[in-house]
Amino acid sequence: MASFIIRRLIASIFVLFAATFLMYLLTALSGDPLQELRESNAPNKAELMEARTKLLNLDVPPFFRYFLWLGGIFRGDFGISVQNQSVNVMLGNAIGATLQLVTIATVVAIVLGIIVGIASALRQYSGFDYSVTFISFLFFSLPIFWVAVLLKQYMAIQINNWLRDPVIATATIIIVALIAGLLWMSIVGGRALKKLITFGVSALATAGLLLYFSLTGWFNTPSIGIVGVAITGVAVAFGVTAISTGLRNKKALYSSLIVVGIGVALYFPMMNGVFNFMTMPLFLTLIVATIFLSGAVGWLMGGPDRWQSVRTAAIVGFMVASVVALDKYMSYWAAYSNSSRINGRPIATVGAATPNLGGNFWIQGIDTFTHLLLPTIAIVLISFAGYTRYSRASLLEVMNQDYIRTARAKGLTERTVIVRHAFRNALIPITTIIAFDVGAIVGGAVITETVFGWTGMGRLFVEGLNRVDPNPVMAFFLVTGTFAVVFNLIADLLYAALDPRIKVS
Amino acid sequence: MKISRIGAPIAVAAVAALAVAGCTPQAESGLDEGTKVTIAWNQAFYSYNGNTSFGNATANNNINYMALSGFNYYNNVPELVQDESFGTYEMLSEDPLTVKYTVNEDVKWSDGTPIDAADLLVHWAALSRALDTPDFDPAEFTDPDTGEFTDAFPTDVVYFDSGATPDAGLGLVQETPEIGDDGRSITMVYEAPYVDWELAFSAPLPAHVMAKNALGIEDNEEAKQAAIEAIQSEDDAALAGLSAFWNSGFNFTSLPDDPEVYLSSGPYVITDFQADQFITLKANPEYVGDNKPAIEEVTVRFIPDPLAAVQALENGEVDVIQPQATADIKTALDAIDGITVSTGLGGTYEHVDLQFTNSKSGTFENPLVREAFMKVIPRAEIVDKLIKPIIGDDALVRNSQLFVPGAAGYDDSIANNGSAAYEETDIEGAKALLAEAGVTNPEVCILYASNNPRRVNEFQLIQASAAEAGFNVTDCGSEQWGGLLGTPGAYDASLFGWQSTSLGVTSSGPTFQTGGINNLNFYSNPEVDKLIVELNTEFDADRQIEIQQEIDKLLWEDGYGVTVFQFPEVTAYSDRIEGVDASILAPTIFWNVWDWKVSE
Repeated sequence: MASFIIRRLIASIFVLFAATFLMYLLTALSGDPLQELRESNAPNKAELMEARTKLLNLDVPPFFRYFLWLGGIFRGDFGISVQNQSVNVMLGNAIGATLQLVTIATVVAIVLGIIVGIASALRQYSGFDYSVTFISFLFFSLPIFWVAVLLKQYMAIQINNWLRDPVIATATIIIVALIAGLLWMSIVGGRALKKLITFGVSALATAGLLLYFSLTGWFNTPSIGIVGVAITGVAVAFGVTAISTGLRNKKALYSSLIVVGIGVALYFPMMNGVFNFMTMPLFLTLIVATIFLSGAVGWLMGGPDRWQSVRTAAIVGFMVASVVALDKYMSYWAAYSNSSRINGRPIATVGAATPNLGGNFWIQGIDTFTHLLLPTIAIVLISFAGYTRYSRASLLEVMNQDYIRTARAKGLTERTVIVRHAFRNALIPITTIIAFDVGAIVGGAVITETVFGWTGMGRLFVEGLNRVDPNPVMAFFLVTGTFAVVFNLIADLLYAALDPRIKVS
Repeated sequence: MKISRIGAPIAVAAVAALAVAGCTPQAESGLDEGTKVTIAWNQAFYSYNGNTSFGNATANNNINYMALSGFNYYNNVPELVQDESFGTYEMLSEDPLTVKYTVNEDVKWSDGTPIDAADLLVHWAALSRALDTPDFDPAEFTDPDTGEFTDAFPTDVVYFDSGATPDAGLGLVQETPEIGDDGRSITMVYEAPYVDWELAFSAPLPAHVMAKNALGIEDNEEAKQAAIEAIQSEDDAALAGLSAFWNSGFNFTSLPDDPEVYLSSGPYVITDFQADQFITLKANPEYVGDNKPAIEEVTVRFIPDPLAAVQALENGEVDVIQPQATADIKTALDAIDGITVSTGLGGTYEHVDLQFTNSKSGTFENPLVREAFMKVIPRAEIVDKLIKPIIGDDALVRNSQLFVPGAAGYDDSIANNGSAAYEETDIEGAKALLAEAGVTNPEVCILYASNNPRRVNEFQLIQASAAEAGFNVTDCGSEQWGGLLGTPGAYDASLFGWQSTSLGVTSSGPTFQTGGINNLNFYSNPEVDKLIVELNTEFDADRQIEIQQEIDKLLWEDGYGVTVFQFPEVTAYSDRIEGVDASILAPTIFWNVWDWKVSE
């Protein structure tokens, strides 16, 4: 094992060296770094060209300049750019922006992709399965710059126009309700009568909710309210328990419901007290405290297997707390949207934040949300396809294996068979893909960043190339290259650790 | 049952919570309000000193223009406007050229320190490089990778990285200027006449900040004195520190911890700067000049993608944009309600130069062939097909090698310089000239940027039109065209753009004089050389125009080449902003930012 890792690392280092050398030469030879100066007719043109030549050692042939650059790398110095800026600083800013932009999108894509993939595998060849397949391939094949521009036009500009008077047309309500009904009918499945009931209930519920939103102008002054929290909480408690332990585990169900009760009880003290003094450390502390406290409730409830209750209660607690926090965010929505810097057009198309917005913790949170919304949707739409297909295929393969049949034959419940026996094993191949993708996060998203005006790793790379400026390009390349190599290795090790049939040597 | 035991406290807590709910209000949202405008620009700001060799970029100069006052600026005519509310300057004598700059009594930096001769003197030292250690090559002491100076860097070496040349601008003022008027003025004596002297002195930077940081002085007044003394006594040790700080102390890519490195002398002062996102300036409370801003806060957001800027304008995230002008962008802008789109000309002009000697095929050594080729360049067609779709009737064929359209002298010059003969393509005339010259199917290899779609289109239009007259136009286009310019034997004609950054007359010299640095087509005419020498020593503005008109005429007669068009510029702004009126010269839209108003 150790020798495997060492061998891999040494090989990787040589690969990296060779790659950086090639990359450096390609960048340095890709154009003329003095281009813009040659075009100028400034009287001191000669002096300016000389200054830049000296600044970037352009008088040294690229072959040797690479080694000057390499020398700097060993001292932890990425050099300077054409604009005499420290590449270390540029790299720091770029990584920060990229992580903010791509991390959430990747997490959402993974979670959503796996959930949808599994649902479509369990309902193989249903209308839902076909729809998911069609949609995921459709989005997969769309160019992101086009998706981004359309998103800006319809999800930002048009939605903002609509928010001036957020009334949902009757036709829209009917169509959305029908789609929702069909969706749930297809997911829940069952016999004809059950399907019909599911369809009716979900379509009516959707229509009712939309009508309520439309009539009360909910989108301009959104809120959930204590009743909403209670209803959502109970639904979450039943849902999570059903998947986590099964509803027959009464201890787990009761501890979940108690946690929901505590959440509802704490609603007003939190909304009007603690939440008004919110800071990031307090926010994180509250998250940890919530999980811990909910877990404790599960522990006290006990039962044959305490940890099942603890797990279920902790998840439910976290989700209920999230709903309460969401309600607090919503309570500031109107103030945010009507502020003079937003001017009633909350969904942003460009940048990472509204300049000089000011505002408290919640307002800042909303601002981050409105700016991340479109780029996140764009990235999720495109990368979601891969995860759904992988997880669907993986689960289908596992479900056809003999040990699943054995588990069913033992009389285990369908929940146990799917969640415990099938799902866990189906995750193994997906894990390696995820490890891969996490490594690729740092590489940024060149086009997404450009279109949405973020200066992340992708921009660093493209700008460097445009200016024939090797140092930023190399900084990008070295960091992403290293991440790719390391996460490749991690993926291999993870696979071996998860699947006892595989051995690394 | 456990539930009831737990339930009781929950019930109590719930009741208590409901009681609290009634009396605790929502926390303050903490939002900031006030009049403001947001402008999109395609590149991030990175240096508060636009005088260094790498800091001189529009992205910096736009911001510095709002925050640093100088003695003059260009309006949108374009003509040079003196800002007498900052200070005055006058020419005391023509020979030797002596110029006196005086700062007004009450002008201050945004920290309250008066602006005075110390600031002017340090600015002179930097822009003239008169005190630089002679023959010093910083490369020997520069870390090759970081560009920073190594430990071996001699501490008494003075090196101002202003790229000054000893034969132009302040480079001609080698004598340390005299201080006068209670330390508010300096008088500079030029070693040779320099007719663009008005453009030589840009907006100064705070001397006391440089001295405080470089020399470790606490007090502002003391620091000013130390800077003056260092310059007057040519104290290399002190000057070395000052020059090092001038070179790098004002470079920042996010708001620096030390507010002194962005002190303002202009209408606005920087208040916030998020790396790669935006920079915000607010009205400078210490500003006493004429250009008092109407809008309290200006934010420049960095949006590289033109279409993203357009959509941000539509969504109200930015109020003013000047994206790279293309037909697509213009179409997108025209479809938006609630904005004003104004089109105009930019500072760069496209031109075709013919190689007089050292060309690839020697075609153009014969003046008749030059004339014939100029007749077949479809200038009007190029403008109609490539520029009109963007800016409509604002598009024009530029007819002068020297004058910026709109500037004084342009209209008279184009009427007399002979460019009228090349207004329309004249295939028959060209054929006749070729026959007269006795050449058939002459080869013309044109150098242009092959990665620039517009230039590729221009090349194709020229190629098609010239073929009708019998020219065999071949493709010398290259992505590395910049490096190939002026290379002997590489091409016969070149198609590229020159950027006009000022109305100065001395920039003609390097382009049209025999052996000039920008004379890339090896043009040589003794008469032009003589006129340029005269132009470089002529202080009378009217006479300057006359001389330039004569040069312009000679250039067209000699078949130097043709100018084609002025680059298009598209500005779009929200209807809530009034007063935006871009200038052809930098800083384009920013030139009158203080006159903008918010109409609400």
